[in-house]
Amino acid sequence: MSHTGYHPVLDPTHAAPFPKAVLPVLRNPQLRKNVAHAIDVIQAKRGKLVAEKTDWQELRTAASAIRTHALENLDFYLEQFEERCTAAGGTVHWAADAAEARQIILDLLREENASEVIKIKTMTSAEIQLNPFLKAKGIRAYETDLAEIILQLGEDEPSHIVVPALHVNRSQVREIFSRTMGLKDLSDEPRELTNAARNYLRRKFLDIPTAISGANFLVAETGAVSVVESEGNGRMCLTLPRTMITIAGIEKVLPRFQDLEVMLQMLARSATGERMNPYTSLWTGVTPGDGPQKFHVILLDNGRSSILAKKTERQTLKCIRCAACMNTCPVYRQTGGHAYGSVYPGPIGAILTPQLMQMHYAQTLPFASSLCGACYEVCPVKINIPEVLLELRSQVTNIERKHLSRFLDPMYLGLRIANLIFSRAWLFHTSQFFGRFGLGLFTRKDGWIHSLPSVGGKWTQTRDLRGLPNQTFHGWWAARTKEAK
Amino acid sequence: MSAPIQTRDKILDRVRTATKLVAKGPAERESAYAALPREYVHAGQLSRDASIALLIERLREYDAEVVECAPAEVPAVIAAQLAASGKHTFVAPAGLPAAWLAKGFDWKLDSGLTSAEIEKAEGVLTASFCAIADSGTIVLHHSATEGRRILTLLPDWHLCILYASQVVETLPEYFARCDQPPALATYISGPSATADIEMTRIKGVHGPRFLHVIVVHD
Repeated sequence: MSHTGYHPVLDPTHAAPFPKAVLPVLRNPQLRKNVAHAIDVIQAKRGKLVAEKTDWQELRTAASAIRTHALENLDFYLEQFEERCTAAGGTVHWAADAAEARQIILDLLREENASEVIKIKTMTSAEIQLNPFLKAKGIRAYETDLAEIILQLGEDEPSHIVVPALHVNRSQVREIFSRTMGLKDLSDEPRELTNAARNYLRRKFLDIPTAISGANFLVAETGAVSVVESEGNGRMCLTLPRTMITIAGIEKVLPRFQDLEVMLQMLARSATGERMNPYTSLWTGVTPGDGPQKFHVILLDNGRSSILAKKTERQTLKCIRCAACMNTCPVYRQTGGHAYGSVYPGPIGAILTPQLMQMHYAQTLPFASSLCGACYEVCPVKINIPEVLLELRSQVTNIERKHLSRFLDPMYLGLRIANLIFSRAWLFHTSQFFGRFGLGLFTRKDGWIHSLPSVGGKWTQTRDLRGLPNQTFHGWWAARTKEAK
Repeated sequence: MSAPIQTRDKILDRVRTATKLVAKGPAERESAYAALPREYVHAGQLSRDASIALLIERLREYDAEVVECAPAEVPAVIAAQLAASGKHTFVAPAGLPAAWLAKGFDWKLDSGLTSAEIEKAEGVLTASFCAIADSGTIVLHHSATEGRRILTLLPDWHLCILYASQVVETLPEYFARCDQPPALATYISGPSATADIEMTRIKGVHGPRFLHVIVVHD
């Protein structure tokens, strides 16, 4: 049992449905406080820095258009990336699914006789559940991003895609570090905790000759890869080892180097509220004498090409993983990330996860939203998340419609009956008459219904219901017309 | 390796099928790319002096130390900065002007230094490719005066020489300055930092903890 008080399960095939998974979080006031604090800080910084950018909307328009163009011509840009990266000394591999990607990485690590590997934070590696796989094969993976170290040593799971440990506070970090690093006198000062991580990793950076990274962007024009980070752990992993393995989703490609002038202006501002993140690295294949002399890129499909085929859903793949949607989401703010049962939480996770799962799992996620539209408004690449949520909801409903159990579900039955009544005027009027009589029994003097029996109680448990008025609109209209005559 | 090639074709086939209604032919793709909306700010509005002032303000917000000087003063200012650092062993890329390597310090010039040798150095001195005022970013393309990537990574203290003529106001202005896309590039916006613990910004995790910049008014 980790310090969260529950075991987060981020594998959509095993995770509990959202309404159930959310309960332990809602009962954990400390965790909710940690999440709310972190989000308040990011939102305040982001708001200020986005406001100072007078051309923010023009940048959004450009970013959205570039990403759409890249996706619509993805086969061309992927082949161009492969050709240019290979020409620069890199090796490009293709993986249709998570299992293939894991196997390619394992084979490469075995070729290197690697028993240990250092890693830069990569959501894609979490998506393919690389670390548990490597552990089972006897290879120890060291996460090097501070937040990822906190999670790895604390046997916890990420709850955010940019600040994965935002649900952990300083005293919890102190407890994890002092227990796992054997540092008895550690204080809970963030500076001291950060130093502990620096010391813990320094030798590993210098001694472990193989590294794994993700990619923020692939550049088709040049075959270059870009990684955006803050701490320098990324630069360490990209520069010191002998062999570098990068895993990237096929959607990460940009047509040209110059497109970075748009993306880099938006990513850090939108993600962490910085004008630019401390370190952005760009490298192209292998450079003699500088950095790893063996470089592999694994291009991962894992469900992406089937998302690409769908007109409304295609925009999901424009995502540049800034996490602005989860920071602004009223649902995420209350629940944090673990309840989503996926490495991709929040609004983008609610549309991406079920699609990556080909709609077989995570079917409750499209409903984990109030459809308020804040995610669409902040998205730097203009993904209309509510539109995709609605599309996925209808798909989930169409799947569930066929389930036999559906016919015994009170809500479904109620809606069937409503459908019958609303489509026939005489039935509607009759049921209005009986409804007014029936509900009248529960209506108090103040005109409100405070409690209902049976299924109706589900509503009145949390909110009151206004009693039906004595006169219907139809009745009023008929009376008014009569009077006028 | 025959299996992976099959996978490659399978994925590309799926991508082609998925995009067949929207993908463009070679000529249309080029013109569609050229027609993408790019209405955002390209050229900056500030005068050269104002750009430099903005850059310095941004760098100081990042806790970087900035001093300004005239071209003739560069060697003396470097020597003063090195002396003030209290450090003695420095590495530098092999292409730096000899006059920059102030006397009285232990210099190791990089012609294939090992990571252990670089790790032992207390500081590093380099030139730079360009700087972007809007975000306070220093750009390295890792040329012979900017050094290999490892050189500006392991030492804890980085002294970077920047000429005023290298300062641009906006990020797109930097991209316009690149005749060719660089094979290697590092964009540094302040020293290494993290905010992973309760969003409290802590300077210096793995990269250099101290960034000093000399802005030379050429």
